[in-house]
Formats: sequence, structure tokens, C-alpha cells
Amino acid sequence: MAVDVKTTPVPASATLRSRRPGRIPAERLRSFAAFGAPGLLIYACFVLAPIAISFGYSLTNHNPFNPPTKFVGLENYRLLFTDSEFLTSLRVTTILTVIVVIVPNVAGLGIAVLLDRKGWLYNALRTVFFTPMVLSSVVVSIVWTRMLDDEGPVNQALRALGVDQPPGWLSDPRLALYSIATILSWQMLGFCVVVYLAGLQGVPTELAEAASIDGAGPMRRFWSVTWPLLAPALTINTVVLLISAFKAFDHIQVITHGGPGTGTTATIAYNVLQTGLVANRQGYASAMAIVMLVIIAAAAAVTLRVLNRREVNL
Amino acid sequence: MKDARAPWLRPVVALIISAFFLVPLYMILVNVFKQGEEITQSPSSLPVPPTLANITGLLSRTDNLFWASLVNSIVVTTLSIILLTVLSAMLGHYLARSRSRWARVAMLLLLAGLMIPPQVILMPVTQVLRAFGLMTTLQGLVLFNVGYYIPFGVFVFTGFLRGIPIELEEAAAIDGASRTRIFWRVVFPLLRPATASVLIFLGVWIWNDFIDPLVILGPSQGTTITTGIYRSIGQYQADFGTVFALMFLATLPVLIFYLFLQKQFVKGLTGGATKG
Amino acid sequence: MKHRALLTALAATVTLAACSVGQEQTAQTQPGAAGKKEISFLVFETPNMTPQVWDAAIKRVTDKYPDISVKKLVAPSADRVSYAKQLLASGQFPDVMIAVSPAGFAESGAMAAFTPEELKDFDFPNNGAVNGKIYQLPTNTQTIPVVYYNKDLFAKAGISAPPKTYAELLDDSAKLKAKGITPFVVGGGKDPFASSLAWTATIATDVYAKTPDWMAKRRAGTVKFTDADFVKATTKFADLAKQGYIDKKDVARDYAATEQAFLDGKGAMYPMGNWFAAAGDDPKRKPSWEIGAFNWPTDDGSTVVPAFTGGGLSVSATAKNLPEAKKFALAYTMDQANLDASVHNDGLYPAVKGYTPPADTGAVFKLGYDLYQQGVQNKTVTQAFGWESGNDGMLPGLVDKWQAAAQDLITGNKSVQEVLSSLDDEWSKAS
Repeated sequence: MAVDVKTTPVPASATLRSRRPGRIPAERLRSFAAFGAPGLLIYACFVLAPIAISFGYSLTNHNPFNPPTKFVGLENYRLLFTDSEFLTSLRVTTILTVIVVIVPNVAGLGIAVLLDRKGWLYNALRTVFFTPMVLSSVVVSIVWTRMLDDEGPVNQALRALGVDQPPGWLSDPRLALYSIATILSWQMLGFCVVVYLAGLQGVPTELAEAASIDGAGPMRRFWSVTWPLLAPALTINTVVLLISAFKAFDHIQVITHGGPGTGTTATIAYNVLQTGLVANRQGYASAMAIVMLVIIAAAAAVTLRVLNRREVNL
Repeated sequence: MKDARAPWLRPVVALIISAFFLVPLYMILVNVFKQGEEITQSPSSLPVPPTLANITGLLSRTDNLFWASLVNSIVVTTLSIILLTVLSAMLGHYLARSRSRWARVAMLLLLAGLMIPPQVILMPVTQVLRAFGLMTTLQGLVLFNVGYYIPFGVFVFTGFLRGIPIELEEAAAIDGASRTRIFWRVVFPLLRPATASVLIFLGVWIWNDFIDPLVILGPSQGTTITTGIYRSIGQYQADFGTVFALMFLATLPVLIFYLFLQKQFVKGLTGGATKG
Repeated sequence: MKHRALLTALAATVTLAACSVGQEQTAQTQPGAAGKKEISFLVFETPNMTPQVWDAAIKRVTDKYPDISVKKLVAPSADRVSYAKQLLASGQFPDVMIAVSPAGFAESGAMAAFTPEELKDFDFPNNGAVNGKIYQLPTNTQTIPVVYYNKDLFAKAGISAPPKTYAELLDDSAKLKAKGITPFVVGGGKDPFASSLAWTATIATDVYAKTPDWMAKRRAGTVKFTDADFVKATTKFADLAKQGYIDKKDVARDYAATEQAFLDGKGAMYPMGNWFAAAGDDPKRKPSWEIGAFNWPTDDGSTVVPAFTGGGLSVSATAKNLPEAKKFALAYTMDQANLDASVHNDGLYPAVKGYTPPADTGAVFKLGYDLYQQGVQNKTVTQAFGWESGNDGMLPGLVDKWQAAAQDLITGNKSVQEVLSSLDDEWSKAS
């Protein structure tokens, strides 16, 4: 399992231990109790235990408004994979995640390269780009709802440019999801810019100059010298983007309420809440939650594994 | 490297792209200084003349919504991020320097929790909190924040620790310093940039969190500023000026916090490798 | 051991912090004062129902009963039902709440039933019953929808009188559209109910008018969504969108903006609950043209008035001070000033015996109220589909599916047949 960050060989830590060969288990236990245990314990209480409770519910038909609760085994899971609503929400979540991971990463890199200069202008722009990140998603949602309204600035601008029938960004069932993805990407873009800028400014100028003397053009220089050194920036960006994509809930709640209609912008997280809280089918909602957690864990594992390997191979 | 051929090109392109990017921010900012009718009729016009009515109206609400929820937000966020920084730095260090199989398992479990949407586990979380008698308390909310966000802290700290040579710790160990002492005297000071990143990130996330304080604090324990914004949408839905003003004021503290830690922040995220 | 001291300090701060939680000042009258019984009261805020309005309403009751003190709780959005469920699930169920449909809460024993004696002053004491008992005071009636229209735009399209039959309605819509006027104003976005009102209307005229106990039959499984009458009602609604009488783009517009759009003359007809009167009569928002109103027409010109009575206060079965909670709920409901305020602020029709609305109500309120009174006299009042409560309503979760289905029909994303059979599916999943 090379998923975790610290599987990178850290030979020194082995040295640390081998130099103190007499280390007794009691002491190791003490250092675990002092350093590892407090954090892990709280994590276990507030994340692992709730997951275990959810898993328990997922094996029942639990409905707080319709007792008694009965054990139904894996029935909920069987139903899930024939439930078109759930399968659609899987698709929605996947599309949203892919867009939100790729777009800000790519655009962010481009803008970072553009802003990679010294001077007050670039410093100011860097701060501006970061601002959406600190805004509450509720506010971002309200503003963008107005922006994309048929009479909002976007469509007004399109009309001014001569487009007769500008698209219904949030009302067209085919477009709504992409609009939401754009909004999320907008909110995350600046963060990627800032992180890539930090990466770019860490690239030693001697390296690029050396490559330039060797006759490499700007594109080649970028791909062979700069890009590999941006690996840690790519890792952190991708992880943070994955987090925001999977957690996207407020935007959907405030902008479209899972609509327009059915099967357009309702993500798994949104469906879990609707099924559990509105339809009261908490056993079934728990099964959805567990499937979602498995998918998230798998996505996290694969991503970190791939990205870390790149970093290691630097 | 210089933009030899057209030195004006880069700033112009940068400004054009930024302008597009800025439109929504502009919409928020101008509407803070406009009144209801003006907003619905011309959401994107300049506020001429600007009015402070939205802001003053908010600050002088008789039920004290803004000030009370501001205090709550500051208390919750500050306590949460301090505890998180300390606990995740210790846990991160422990896991980064340990080679036991259990440490790997723990790391894996933590990373699995990195991306869980809070809504999905919220109801069982309230059961846990109730079992401890911590439901509807600030302590309960802070402890939940610690448990929920610790994977991210650990992720940043372990990533950063990879760039820190272990020789320093070894040297201290040879001098006979205890592990605790080594951590606080040698390691923790070196983690400063990563600490800044963790503080900023988790500070922003916890500050802007809406559903957890809503449910865990409950309706009778006051509200945080973000929950306050959401709640006031109901009342002000025909007059977003007040919502924008509330949000403008709510964002200022985090924005200042970010500007303050900006330099350290980016260094901490990209850790060792940016050193070249 | 510096860090241990730090941690201890932190722990102490955390503990202390609980005492310094910023409290909002609400209508609370000194809790714990000698002999006072405290009850919590869940409300929600809208542009009409501001914190000041709630505080004043609560104060009128606590002035009358000084032994009761009230702690006002505010739901984070107008969706107070989901919030009440969250509170129930997390052990914080309020003692008294307003406009929370009792479906589910009642069956599971979370809400306390009212006795016939307590309900003696209501016009419809059995409305919204769950298993024969009343858990929510049937305080007021709302007609959902009334069709409000823009007399100016009607005149522009050469229409002299509101339509009497459904054929005339279609005819008028065609005339409006020919003049480049959008016939119907609907909404959606974060308020999907705003997409569904015309559908509630066609269901009233084509399903409920014929089969008043349709919902009971659906619960018993003897009728289905895919039955002929329901298909007809749904097809009427879907066709309005297909003809372009409803603008597809409207499904992304939230409720507040939709109301404003009608007031700004963006469309000719606005099927909406009669609470629209609060905005239509608001001197600050009143349009320069005159607002008219009519009942959604039937095929043969007979009148049908879809209405819902309920919407009042409910009491938690586990309230610490249950007698006081009930006393508060009834006193709050019967308070003359509160009833008048509900007329003024929310355009409601109180369903309390002997109550008549104050003389100074606005013109738009009177339009809806008169249509309703005619309906009562002619006995043509039906249920309002999607708004019923208790056993008169759909199974939990179905209302949201139905509202989403309305959007599917407007956008043309799904056919009538697809939408209705999926509703039948959802029904069987929910039961």
C-alpha cells in the first residue's frame, strides 16, 4: 500500500531507530500515547465511528418515521445498483469531479505562468485570484445565480454581441451541470494559481538558463525543467480540488436544488441527504453514503499513489 | 528571463483575464453599497451614489445577529485551528517518522477521510456527540472540527516533513533529548510554513462551514456568521444588498488573516521541493 | 513540559468558551425567573415575516400569559420541515413549531395531538388529519393557485375579460404570445415548488374535481398516476410549455425573483398561492398597472377552487412543559392581532370561527379572498395537489419528486408518460 505520503523511503528514520537499538516497546507505546493517540482517537470518534454507525444502518430498513427497524442484509446495496436515480447521481458526481479537477489545474497553471513576474501588479493580481477561495460557497452561489440568470450580465453581454437566444445556463437540463462545474472551478482557480506560482518561484533560474543555453525552446524548457519540479504543487492542487468536488453540496442546494428536473445536478452527496432527510429512508441513504465513501477512498488512494510516484521519481 | 519582444503584452493579457475573473467579485462588491431595488433592476451598475445603509442596518439589528455570530465564529475557528495544528503536527510527525505497519494503516485510514462530505456522516456524528453529552455545545463543535479536519493537517505536515532532514532530530536524540522535547524544540519551529498553510486552509474551511455548526450548535445556541448569512437569505431574499453586506463583513476577517499569512502559506503547501 | 501547559490552557479555554457563546437577543423574557415555564418555538423568516414581526407576535402572547417564557428558534431556510427532522434526529426537537407538516412526525409519536375541545373554534377542525387525529392547528386557508394577471398586458393583446373555459385560456395565451408577451410566469431554481403551480391547477380541475378522494385512493393503491385523468391533467400542463406559453428558462429563477418578474411585467399570468397578495398590495412594490385574478378555468366553465387549510402550529409530544406549549400554540393562533397580521403580512385567510379580515386589506388580497368565498358558497373547493398535509398528502419525499417532475415537463426533458410512471415507481419505493 504505497498510498500514503510517508511510504517514500525515509532511510534516515531507520537510522534513528537503529542507533538506539535498546528502545523498548514501553517507550514506543509512550511516544504513541503522546503523539499519535490524541489525534487518532478524536478522528476515530468523529469520523470512523460515524461511518461504522452508517454501515450498521445501511443493513437495515431504518426509517425513523416508520418503525420498526428491521435487518435486511445487503438488500439496500442490491437495490442501489438497479436504482436509476442513484446511477445517474454517480454519473453526475463523476462528471463534476473530473471537470473540477482538470479545469482549475490547467487554467491555473496557465495563469500562474502568466503572472510569474515580480512587481506590484502581479502581487495584487495574485491576491485577487485567491479571494474567491475564502468566500462562503453560499455567497458564491447567490452571485452566480444572478450572473447566469437569463437577464444577468452574461446573457446581456451575449445579446449585445448579437446572440438572439443565449443559452439557459442553469435552466437547460443539458447545461446546468456544466454551469455548476464552472462555478466551482471559478472558486478554486485562484487557489491553483497561487500554489503553482509558489512552485514556479521555487524553480532555480540556473536550471532554466542552463537549458536555454543548450538550445531548448521555451516550451521544451517548460516541460523538461519546470513541469517536473511542479509535481508537489500538482499533488496539493489535485487533492484540494478532489476535496472540493466531492464535498460540493451548498452550491447545488442554493443554485439548482438538484434540478432542473430529475437527474441533472443531483450528486451522490445531495441524494444522500434528500433520501435520508426528506424521504426519511435512512437505511437506504446510509447504503448510498457507504458506497460514496468507498468511491472517495478509492479515488484518494489512486490519486495519491500516482502523484506521489511522480514526486518520488523527480 | 525577460519578455523581450513585447514587454507590454504580458500585463495586458494578465489584466484582461483577471477582468473576466473579477466580474462576480465586482458584483458582490458593488451590491454591498446598493439598495434592494437598484440591485434587482441593475445588478451590475456602479453604486451611484453609494449607500452604507446595508452595512449600518446590519450592524444595528436589534437582535444582534451580526455581532453575536461573529463572536461565535471567532471562538469556534480559533479554538479549532489551534487544536488542529498542534494535534495534526504531532500525529503527522509520529506517522512520518514511524515505520511500523500500524502507522501505515493509520495513515491510510486518515487519507480515506480526507474527502468525505460532512453531510454524509453528520447524523451519526450527532449520535456520537449526544453519547458524550457534547451536543449543542461549542466544545462538541470544536472537537468534531478537530476529528473531521485532522486528515488534512496530517496530509500537509507529513508532506512537509519529507523535506526536512532527519539529521537534526538524530543529533538532538544523541544529546539525550526526549522525543517530546525534540518535537517541540527542533521539529515544530521548522514546520512554520506548513503551520501557516494548515491555519489558513482550515481557518477558511471552518469559518465558512455552514451545515456542521447549524446542526451541532443547534438553533438555541446562537449561530456562526456563515450560518447567519444562510439564515438571513430567507428574510432578505427580495433585497440581497443586506446579504451581500453580511457576507462582505463576514469575509473580511478571513481575508485579512490570509493576507497576513500569505507568504508562509504557499511555502508550506509545496514544501521541500520548492527549495529546488 | 511547556506544551502540556499549553494543552491544559486550551482545554480550559474550550470549557470556558461555552459560557461566552454569543447569544442573540430574542423575544426571550428572562428565563428562569420565578415560576416561568420556558418553551422553544421554531419559526422561519421571509421578507414578510421578519424577526420584528415574530418577536411582536410572540410578545402579545407572553404579555397575556406572563408565566410562559418563549425561546425563539429560527430555521435556516424556508424549508423548516427538513430542519425540524434534523432537530428531531439530533435530539433538539422544538416544543412548538409553525407550518411544519405533521406527516411522519405524527405517526412516529413526535407530535402531540390536539383534542376536539381544543379545536372547537376552527372552521375545518379535521383538516390534515393523521390517522383521525389533528397534530397541526388548521389555522388558515390558502388558495393554491389563484391566477393573477396583468390587466395592462391583457389589454395589449386585445383580451377584454379573463378566460372562463380552458379553451379560452389557451386562446388568450396564443394571443399574448403572438404579441411577444410571455403568457405564464413560473419559477424554480432553489425553490422548485414555483415550477409546479400550474400543474396543481390542472390536477384540481381534471382530477380532484372529479375524484375528491383521489389521494386516499392512491394511498389504497386503487388509482395510479398513469390513470387517464391524471394523464390528462399532466398533458395540459406539459402542453403549456410545449406551446411556449411557459418559458423553459424560468425553471432556474428562484421564487423571490419570479415574484418580482411578474410585478415587473415580464409575463401576463402568474399562478401562485394567494400569499402573493402580500407583495401585490405592498405600496413599495405595487406596479403601475392593475392586477386581476381568476380561478384556473375548467373545460366546461364550471369553477374549481383548489385550497389548503392548515399551516398552523404544532406541539412536540415530548415538550417539557406540554400544557404550556399547547396553551401557547392556541393563544398564539387565536390572538386577534396575530390573525390580522397573518392577513396583512402573508395574505392568509384565517380559518377561525367568527373571524373576518380587517377592513383595510389590500385590493389584491380581496381578489383572492372573494374568489375563495364564492368557492365556499358554491361548494367547489378542492384539495391543492402537492400542498396537502397529513393523510391527505403524498408519501414522504414524493412532493420533491413531483416538483422535479414539473421541471422535467417544462424543460421537455421527459415525456408525460415517463414522468408519471416514474412517480408511480417512487410511490412504491416510499411505501
